[in-house]
Amino acid sequence: MRRCYLLFAVVFLLTTLAGAKDHPKFKSIEVKHFSQAEGVELPPEFSDFLFAELRAELQKKKLAEQLLGEDEVVDAADAPQSVILEGSVLEYKKGSVVKESLIGFGMGLRSLTAHIKVLRRSNNEAVIDKDLKVRASSKLDPKQLAKYLAGEITRELKHQLS
Amino acid sequence: MRALSLFCGVVALGQLFAALNAVAEEPKPTASNTISVRLENEIKPQTFPRAIKFFIENVVDRSANPQPLLVYKPRGGVFLDRQPTEIVRQALQETLQKSDLLAAERASADYLFTVYLFHFGLDSGTGMEYFGKVDLNVVVKEVASGKSQTVTAMGTAIQGIAFRKKSILKNVEANIDEALEAALRNFLRGTKLRDAVASPGAKPSTATPDTGGAPPRSTGSIIESPYGFFSFVAEA
Repeated sequence: MRRCYLLFAVVFLLTTLAGAKDHPKFKSIEVKHFSQAEGVELPPEFSDFLFAELRAELQKKKLAEQLLGEDEVVDAADAPQSVILEGSVLEYKKGSVVKESLIGFGMGLRSLTAHIKVLRRSNNEAVIDKDLKVRASSKLDPKQLAKYLAGEITRELKHQLS
Repeated sequence: MRALSLFCGVVALGQLFAALNAVAEEPKPTASNTISVRLENEIKPQTFPRAIKFFIENVVDRSANPQPLLVYKPRGGVFLDRQPTEIVRQALQETLQKSDLLAAERASADYLFTVYLFHFGLDSGTGMEYFGKVDLNVVVKEVASGKSQTVTAMGTAIQGIAFRKKSILKNVEANIDEALEAALRNFLRGTKLRDAVASPGAKPSTATPDTGGAPPRSTGSIIESPYGFFSFVAEA
């Protein structure tokens, strides 16, 4: 009987902790389309795909109560707990299938470097302001990099807030 | 000679099979592969400083898609039950009506909406997900002054890929539903609409003739034009 109580207590504690962990950190996050630096040759639909991936990832991680589209209105009261996520793609390297197949060890991979900024809406304070680099196999679709970048940004955001 | 005729016969037979195969693969709309896209959740538009009424004048398809009802081609295809223009019109009308922002007729409206639909349905992703996108430009015309402004809105959604036909239909439908909802929310809660409505007699829209009177296309990639910095010279 005592064991049973103990088990119930542990289950209750774990569910409470799990619930507390999933509580959103922000009232809202506005995701903006990433701009591209001159000379970056990505498919035209990359920007929209990255935008969609970012929204999907942020939604999955439950970092905010609300996910806003570009340029949506926010109540003044919610502004201090709301952030804007923006960024730009600084560099994109296509990679080489030949190098990747013949040499290996990370040679010939596609890579993408992006600068991301997460700004608090009320005072423009930078919560995150850094460069991120992601890599993927050159045999994969370039949009796979958008998937990895979105994951990396979400991880970074979660890490900064914890 | 006999070998040549045999060769020609084989080629002709091959072409016939290829044509028959192509016809067989072309999906046809049936009750089992048709989805009905409609808004699941209510969208609350932003509050405007004064009581205003909108009227949807027209919804124009600018997607240049020859098969607007076919949203997904593999596995027998997935079709929409209505034209995308009808779906968007109905969704927008219902949302405005629920918020008491819809004018009963054109004459009683303060602003007229002409919606240009640039994309409705699935877009190309990595192949491992369904990437839904609804991209629209709305020309907001003030009835009193006749001046108009363009408001862009976009909604996207990503759903995991499915393998069973039933799951494909369910995921594609949920995906497009979500994208439509996001696009309408983006439009109705956007600062661009607020600015267009809050500033009566603002700058007229810069509609270009090559889009057939439609507003300029919004592009995903943004590379700032250096000429924008010198726009004040022209204005001066």
